[in-house]
Amino acid sequence: MAANPVQRRYVGRMIPISIAYIATVMLASWIIPDDAAATPLTVTVALVPALATSGFIWAMARYIAELTDEYVRMLEIRKMLVATGLTLALASGWGILELFTDVPRVPLFYVFPVWCLGLAVGSLVNRLTIGDGGPCP
Amino acid sequence: MKNRLKVLRAERDWSQQDLADRLEVSRQSVNAIETGKYDPSLPLAFRIADLFGLPIEAIFLKD
Repeated sequence: MAANPVQRRYVGRMIPISIAYIATVMLASWIIPDDAAATPLTVTVALVPALATSGFIWAMARYIAELTDEYVRMLEIRKMLVATGLTLALASGWGILELFTDVPRVPLFYVFPVWCLGLAVGSLVNRLTIGDGGPCP
Repeated sequence: MKNRLKVLRAERDWSQQDLADRLEVSRQSVNAIETGKYDPSLPLAFRIADLFGLPIEAIFLKD
């Protein structure tokens, strides 16, 4: 539950971006047939949801920039560092596996969701090391 | 870093939330500073010192 104005603004940004993301993914799925060739039209349509994912990242950056409580900001940045380290390690590890073995190819699309899951791990790390998981806006 | 925040707060009969409101930070922050889990930045330490009317070194002590 959003507890302060910064968290409320964050949630207020994330909700419309999430709706836009779902709508544009559905639209792209409807317009672009499966296994379509990469033409200027298909690429343009497919990139529209990517604007929404960039919007998620922008909203998170604004959240960090607007946080005035330095302790909460530290907790949030620690979560993001854990998420980033975890994502880089997993992506690099799996990439090397793909290079040398016939493991299934993982679409790059999953990088951002994995990073978001990494935030939950970061919260757990905060809880275990500082005793405080941080807010969940 | 050790600090006398809890004692100073108790002397004024302030709750952690009261102190947090006065400092314009979260109660979480006050708790983390009080328990030594987090050392405040110099600007926040000065705000704390100003609020209690004491020099920083009278509130925050070397380990």
